[in-house]
Amino acid sequence: MVQMILTGLLCGALLGFVMQRGRFCLTGGFRDMYIAKDNRMFYALLIAIAVQSIGVYSLIQLGLIEFSTGAFPWVATIVGSFIFGIGIVFAGGCATGTWYRAGEGLIGSWIALFGYMAMSAIMKSGPLTPLNQSLQSVQLPKNSIAESTGLSVWVFISIFAAIVLWIFIRELRKPKVVIPTMKPKRRGLAHLLFEKRWHPFFTAMIVGLIAILAWPLSEATGRMSGLGITTPSANILQYLVTGDQKILNWGVFLVLGILLGSFIAAKGSREFRFRMPDTKTGISSFIGGNLMGFGASLAGGCSIGNGLVMTAMMTWQGWVSLLFIILGTWTASYFVFVRTNVKKKSLNSGTSITTV
Amino acid sequence: MQQTLEVMGQVCPFPLIEAKKVIEDLKSGDELVIQFDCTQATESIPRWAAESGHTVTNFEQLSDAAWTITVKKK
Repeated sequence: MVQMILTGLLCGALLGFVMQRGRFCLTGGFRDMYIAKDNRMFYALLIAIAVQSIGVYSLIQLGLIEFSTGAFPWVATIVGSFIFGIGIVFAGGCATGTWYRAGEGLIGSWIALFGYMAMSAIMKSGPLTPLNQSLQSVQLPKNSIAESTGLSVWVFISIFAAIVLWIFIRELRKPKVVIPTMKPKRRGLAHLLFEKRWHPFFTAMIVGLIAILAWPLSEATGRMSGLGITTPSANILQYLVTGDQKILNWGVFLVLGILLGSFIAAKGSREFRFRMPDTKTGISSFIGGNLMGFGASLAGGCSIGNGLVMTAMMTWQGWVSLLFIILGTWTASYFVFVRTNVKKKSLNSGTSITTV
Repeated sequence: MQQTLEVMGQVCPFPLIEAKKVIEDLKSGDELVIQFDCTQATESIPRWAAESGHTVTNFEQLSDAAWTITVKKK
């Protein structure tokens, strides 16, 4: 129990810290592919997937950890991921993003988080369990891309790693635009950790390494999996209303650690402050959180569980989910940002302009 | 001329979306002062300014999670 608490909190805190400081926001990344034609955060995600994939399959090869891919619940994955993608735009951050923004003091993210936890629990052990189970029962027998094709998983990892390396080199060769920064007020380690802007590709590599670390730490406590956000988030609420200690697992402390790590990062860099959203943002966050919980429970993972981990494990579930999360994000972005922009060129509520 | 855009309390990507809208109506050389508290905008607003050729004449933190940035239209 003590080990589970300590290693879970530690791994989560590392992730929360790195994501907060590196501004690792997948919602923003998927959205900007469409509204700003900017693929940098998506490329960063691919880097994190590649690093994790190589690391975790090396550990599996060495017999240090175990993993079975199971079956592929394709209908639930497609429908759930699309709904999840819509939800993260309304919530202003994906599941992990919502956890780390909660650590920055954004009350809107607390609201989204509550909706997310509640709907996940409703889907996993509440009245919507039958719906969830019936959609998940539509399955294809093989989830592993390697098993389906009869090739070694290393073939897919090598091809993928080569593509990612090519993108990485191509992006770094692009002429650099000098981005204005604030005058540094600190030096040395304090500057690097709490002030300096992190390159998204650097952040992604660290995220990939933390994702590898999660596997042995989690398996040591009997939870045979890597990073995961949705089930643990539901578990927190299930534990709080039942008091059943069996519900507590490594993942629960992982997500609590994200909150802790992000709080430390935000506090240390003077980016923490309780911020109350306006009514419109609050309602949107709540709806988004519920859609996130519904979608991620159905799809068997959020943008981390499916988009980062199951992709790295080279499963159909991971890659199909990632595609439909992105499509969901684009659909919601069209209605929230693109269409409203064309219709009324007016300003958002809460905005004021003064001319001097 | 200088205009101030107050987007405190707005979450990403709204501060940037509002800034893009407002700067359209400014003349070249006019300045737009943006006051914001969305952490991600500390990255997205200067990046947008640099990539679209505007000049950032001031960028500083006002207090905990509160920033101001001045963008001079190209």
